[in-house]
Amino acid sequence: MNWSVLRLLFIHEMKMLLRARRTVVTAIVLPALIMPLMLYAQKYSSSRRERVLTGTTYRYTITGPLADRIRNLIQQAREGLNNDTSEEFEQLRQFKFVEMTIANARQSLDNDAIHFYIETISGVEADKIPPKVDTAPRGPVARRNLPPKRLAGVPLINVVYRGDRDASSAARGRILSLLRIARRNDSESQLVARGFPGDPKQLFSVEDTSLATHGQVTGSAVGRFITLFLVMMMFTGGAVASMDIISGEKERGTLETLLTTAVGRSEIVAAKQLAITSVALVITLMQGLNFLLYIRLRMIELPQDFDLQLSTGMALTLLLLFVPLAATIASVLLMISAYAKSYKESQMYFFPVYLLSMIPSLASLMPGVSLRSAIAFVPLANVSVAAREIMIGRPDAVMIGVTFAVMVLTAAYLMRASARMLTREDLVVPAHFEAAEFLGGPALFQKRVLRWFALMWVIVFAVATNVQALASFQRQLIFNELVVMLGSSLLMLWIYRLNPIEVLSLKPVKPAVWLAILFLIPTGHLTALGIFQIVNVVIPAPQEMLQRFSEDVIPRGMPTWQLLMYIAVLPAICEELLFRGILLSGLKRRLRPAALVVVVGIIFGLFHVSLYRIAPTAALGMVLTVIAIMTGSVFPGMVMHAGNNALGVLGGDWLNPDALQFGHYAAGMAIFALSLWVIYRNRTPLQK
Amino acid sequence: MNAPVVVRNLKKVFYDEGRGEVKAVDSINFECREGEVFGLLGANGAGKTTTLRMLSTILTPTAGTATLMGNDVVSNPQGVRKNLGFYSATTALYPRLTTRETIDFFARINQYPADQVEQRVEYLIQRFGLTKYADARIEKLSSGMKQKVSIARTIAHNPSILIFDEPTVGLDVLNALDVVDSIRELRDEGKTIIFSTHIMSEAERLCDRIAIIHGGHILACDTLAALRESTQQHYLEDIFVLFVKAGQEMV
Repeated sequence: MNWSVLRLLFIHEMKMLLRARRTVVTAIVLPALIMPLMLYAQKYSSSRRERVLTGTTYRYTITGPLADRIRNLIQQAREGLNNDTSEEFEQLRQFKFVEMTIANARQSLDNDAIHFYIETISGVEADKIPPKVDTAPRGPVARRNLPPKRLAGVPLINVVYRGDRDASSAARGRILSLLRIARRNDSESQLVARGFPGDPKQLFSVEDTSLATHGQVTGSAVGRFITLFLVMMMFTGGAVASMDIISGEKERGTLETLLTTAVGRSEIVAAKQLAITSVALVITLMQGLNFLLYIRLRMIELPQDFDLQLSTGMALTLLLLFVPLAATIASVLLMISAYAKSYKESQMYFFPVYLLSMIPSLASLMPGVSLRSAIAFVPLANVSVAAREIMIGRPDAVMIGVTFAVMVLTAAYLMRASARMLTREDLVVPAHFEAAEFLGGPALFQKRVLRWFALMWVIVFAVATNVQALASFQRQLIFNELVVMLGSSLLMLWIYRLNPIEVLSLKPVKPAVWLAILFLIPTGHLTALGIFQIVNVVIPAPQEMLQRFSEDVIPRGMPTWQLLMYIAVLPAICEELLFRGILLSGLKRRLRPAALVVVVGIIFGLFHVSLYRIAPTAALGMVLTVIAIMTGSVFPGMVMHAGNNALGVLGGDWLNPDALQFGHYAAGMAIFALSLWVIYRNRTPLQK
Repeated sequence: MNAPVVVRNLKKVFYDEGRGEVKAVDSINFECREGEVFGLLGANGAGKTTTLRMLSTILTPTAGTATLMGNDVVSNPQGVRKNLGFYSATTALYPRLTTRETIDFFARINQYPADQVEQRVEYLIQRFGLTKYADARIEKLSSGMKQKVSIARTIAHNPSILIFDEPTVGLDVLNALDVVDSIRELRDEGKTIIFSTHIMSEAERLCDRIAIIHGGHILACDTLAALRESTQQHYLEDIFVLFVKAGQEMV
């Protein structure tokens, strides 16, 4: 990277942007002007609505046999309210209403002559009315609105209103509150009349105390939304810049000019990325200041106890996370704009990507999600959760470090991807394909294989774990193994016209290998246990992890042969074909053997749902990959995989760590190593 | 010393939805000598632009090699571009920069010695008669003026090799003549120039050697006099047609 060139290009980009008057106006000036306008309009309309609703004198009528009693109770309740000065009843005190004498209440309500009417029904009559049926299909909202069960013989007071009229709705809410107060007053006075000692209101007093400070409450509220807010601001702010910066340049033909100069493409990308990040940050900052200004001017009203306590440390930590966040967003924008052929096309792609990126930043709204979980590895979602924890004043230093690292890696990866996009020739030559894409077949398979695995992973996680029909152990296994894994393997073989024997490594091996595999199965278990013990001495595994790991996924009461089919045979066949067949073949030309082992092992581990199983499964996956590479066949791994899983089913606790001595472990490991060595001696060269 | 531009078995295959596999350039060979104008003469779609884009490292060759001033286009693209000025109808200017800023920007990003940039910019402004428009934005200039700025930015860093890909396309006679004159001047200064065109008269007037390219193949490559000699034709147009027809018969 040549820094002086980078500086030059950055200044150039910024100059271009600032000179585009339309860009500056639409991206910076207009939002700044529209915001107060919008706030003012919103404030004006809501305060006007409030004024109209309180200013209205509501017309109503009371019908039925209990009309006089209810009329009196309402009257008393209102008088009682006028003596009460508490703020709680302020709205009710301002409630003006007048009773009308009307022949047909229902018709008058329909004609808007009255706002509502109170229908009183005696207990005997009310019992004849069929109970209200919840017509809404389901959902907590509908259920909550159901009236409490009325006992037989209890009179019914029904407020009839029109939910489609603002004033009628408002009146209904207020008269209901008033009626409840009236009912309480009535029951209290009846209690007193029947000799209740003392004031019925003074049975006990109810109050509440929050241990959180106002600062913490505010931090929790702000922390929930700050990341979402920032992501929205950075996206919309950066978009204007990014579209001009690549799509616009493509359209004007200046990109080709730039590409023929002596600057490297990485410098071009870095400068553009920096420019978008700067614009996004400046706009975000401006909007933030804008908000502070409106809060000062009282155009935005803050809650009463609002008290944002942001120490320098907190602010710096937040900034530490928000900078890679901005860089990530800038890279995403850059990629959209590089991918699009024109300004218009990049606008088209922007919106769905924008909405999609907001989803992970909603993670902070999920109750009970802590950063000390898998969420720390999900870009954007991790920042969102971290920001909330920082704002509450409970930062988790280790996990914030993880979050930072994940975000920096994400930003770096996306930057590299956008740099690679700039080297694509269709930037300059329209409508042509890369050779692999056009020719299809095995060449394209190698380019696409990782995408297939990403898709499968999403399906396994999103579909299989959320769809009710797949909840049972058997169905989930059948879906994952047969439909997703085996199905995708066959689909890839078919789409890319692959030779199954080659790609799936369906080849015989020497007898010595089989013998070695036979020894590898039990000693592999022993070795894993030994390694775990050693690691446990250095870094003790958290209790929770041990517990989760031993929680068996195996359903009780299933015949052993079925368990063996589901847990040992089925996964061994499907997973080996997929991981040691398809994946290994797809990647072997791109990676060196050592990297191949690690990557295949990790991907294999990622497919094993529980977070706590990823590491041990990945280790098993690596051993299986080593065997597959050395033997050039998928079969030995299949047998070892099946044997390993079968031991888990059958053995249960055949290896009791307490009964094992150092000698056992050492012998096990020695035989394990020896068996691997036998396979190594009988290896077949890796065919690329 | 090696020739400034050496092209060996250069090939470019495109894959296009409509036409399938297209060999835009099919194993061509040529060399350019120092201080000459080397003409690539061909009809539209003959492979001229693809060849020149490979030489300027915008496109990656499917096979074969090309070196400019000893730098390979694949292994050292930045070295190639440092010694190269590339001009084509599709290399536009930044409309929001002024003339002076444009030349200055391109001199600097092509790593012209920083302390001499200002001097170079002044020199080029004067040389192309742009003094009056030096501080006007490009978007305000006439097309003839833009043409001049374009050439000035191409040679801003004083490269030894210049590629002009159909520079006169879309220009009126007078502007086109200006461009041709500028190229001749640059040749006289010792630059190695590759010039592509489909206009016979331009090639006749300007090129020291001419390569006739058709269907991705170079059918002939020699001086105009030698071409006349070997074909017994006087006009370049007749020579061109002769070779293209012979080439088609061969296929």
